Amino acid sequence: MMVLLDPALDPVQDTGEGEDPGARFPRLSMVSNGLLNLRVSNRSGYWVASSASPTERFGPRDRLGRDRLLVTAELDTALREYLEALFLDVVTGPPASFLPLDQLRHVLESDRRQDLAVGVLVNSERQAIVLIRGNFARIVVPWSWFRPTPAGLAPDFGDVEVIDHGLTIRLGRYEAAVEAILYELDRDFRARERQRRIDMDPAFGAALRRLRIQKGVPRSGFPGITEKEIARIERGEVSRPHAATLRAIADRLGVEAADIETF
Amino acid sequence: MPEQLPLPKRLSAEGWKVKIRDLEHGEPPHATVIRGTTDWRWNLRSRQFMDRQPNARDVPTELVRLMRAHHADLVRWWDTTFPDNPVGPGEEE
Repeated sequence: MMVLLDPALDPVQDTGEGEDPGARFPRLSMVSNGLLNLRVSNRSGYWVASSASPTERFGPRDRLGRDRLLVTAELDTALREYLEALFLDVVTGPPASFLPLDQLRHVLESDRRQDLAVGVLVNSERQAIVLIRGNFARIVVPWSWFRPTPAGLAPDFGDVEVIDHGLTIRLGRYEAAVEAILYELDRDFRARERQRRIDMDPAFGAALRRLRIQKGVPRSGFPGITEKEIARIERGEVSRPHAATLRAIADRLGVEAADIETF
Repeated sequence: MPEQLPLPKRLSAEGWKVKIRDLEHGEPPHATVIRGTTDWRWNLRSRQFMDRQPNARDVPTELVRLMRAHHADLVRWWDTTFPDNPVGPGEEE
C-alpha cells in the first residue's frame, strides 16, 4: 500500500463532479514514490509514473477520463489496455525514452509545457521519430527533416534522447532545437511564437524568406520561378504573387500555400 | 556537433548554457541561452535579445558580457553551420 503525501490528490476525490473554487492551479505534487501528479484543473491533470507499480492505485472507479498518464517504464499489454480505458491518453516507454524525472517535473511545471519535449520514440521502419511533448501530445518528424550539417555531421537515429529540459533533441553528436521542429510542423506553435517575438516582420515576403531559409532552399531553387522574382517577393516589391506562382512556391517548400504567411 | 560557449563555473553550476545547435529555427541568426526549461534567443546581427518573453533581464549581465566578448566566435559558428543564412549581409540578392 502506498502512502499518499497529499491526500487531496487522490484521483477519486480530485476528479469528482464538484469544482473547488478555492483550488489553485496548476499544482504539482509527488503523490507517492515514483508518481507525480500535475493538476491543471479540478477535473484534468497529468500523471507520471516511473514504473508500473505506482499505477496499481488507479482503480476501475476512479474518474480519470480527462487525465493523461505517462509511464516511463514498459507495460505489459493487459495493464496498458486497462490504463488506456481509464485515462484520456497513455504514453509509455520503452522504446520511447524520456527526460530524467527531475527534468520531467520541471517541464510539467512550466506554463509552456506543450512547447517542450518530454520524450522521443524512433520508428526505424517508417524512418520517423515521434516527439512526445510536455502535454503528452505527439508529433511525427520524418528523418529527412534533419538535414546534415555542411561539415558532414548527420543525425544518428540509433542514439536519440531529449536533453536541456525538453528544449533540445540529441541524435548522436547532432542536436536539434525542439523549437525549430515545432515551428515548422505545428501551426498553433507558430502563432504563439509570433506573439512572443519582437523583431518579426509580419509581411508575406518576410514570412516566405523565413520559411525558405528554414527549409534550406536557395532563391534559385524554385523551378519555373526566377531567382530575381523570389527576391522581389521577399523584399515586398510584389505584395501578393499570382496564384500559380504561390502554388509552385508552396509545393517546392512542402507546405500549403495558405500556410506560408504563418511562418 | 553543437557549439557551446564555455562559461565560468559559477554560471555553469547555475545551469546556464549558450548554444548554437545543428538545427535551429533559422531566421534571424541567433545564439540560444538556456537555463532549465527557459530559453532566450540572442540576435547575432543586432546583439540584442529577440523576444518579448522571457524577460531578458533574467539573464545575468556577466553572461551577456561574455556573449558580446565572444560575438566573433558565435558568428563564425553560426556561419559554419548555416552558410545559406549568414549573420553578415551575405544573403544572396
